[in-house]
Amino acid sequence: MESALTKRNTKPSQKMKFLEWQREFEAALTEGDPQTLRQRVDAAEAAIFLRSQISVGRVERQAMDAATQKLRAIQKNKLGYPDWNKR
Amino acid sequence: MPAVLAQTVRRRLVLLVDDNTAVRTLVRKLFAVEADFEVVGEAENGREAVEKAVNLKPDLVILDLAMPVMNGFEAARELRKVVPDTKIILFTVEEGSEVERMAREASIDAIVLKGQTPELISGARSLLDPEEGERNGGELRNAS
Repeated sequence: MESALTKRNTKPSQKMKFLEWQREFEAALTEGDPQTLRQRVDAAEAAIFLRSQISVGRVERQAMDAATQKLRAIQKNKLGYPDWNKR
Repeated sequence: MPAVLAQTVRRRLVLLVDDNTAVRTLVRKLFAVEADFEVVGEAENGREAVEKAVNLKPDLVILDLAMPVMNGFEAARELRKVVPDTKIILFTVEEGSEVERMAREASIDAIVLKGQTPELISGARSLLDPEEGERNGGELRNAS
């Protein structure tokens, strides 16, 4: 099944590039068990972090930023992380 | 027998604070190959960082922003109270003027983006020893 992220990038090579971190990200997004959610989010965050250490294209960078924001929302809304942006 | 000139390197003590084990591991490896740094502890949230800093008295804290229990900004404010001389680098994916403003308010010394991890070393040197950092081309995004 194609995700929204891979659909946006029509070139097969781009799709392949995304898979490593995107697999972890999608696993975090679809995780229903609260007990393993933290693990999934950590794994996705780590995969994005490792990927960000190399130079990536603008499209992938934007996708990684968007994924990071979604992971932040999960941390805040489902894992009880304090909101650093709240004054 | 030739004279051996022993050069004593003052090791700077580093406390790593990040809720993600993989991030801490990578940063620890980065510092491990540098003779002038020693990672003396790790913490996975701000509260744990403050507790450890009291005992370890690090020269430098590498501080994540989004963490459970206590986030990076809250931790920085507490760290300033218990270890006022310790330098703090906010190590985060978050960027923008709002983050920089909040970092300044929390008395954070500098910000390094997680996508630019190798800059942690040169940045840390710039912060701890500005003259040495300048010689090595270290550059930091100053928060203060």
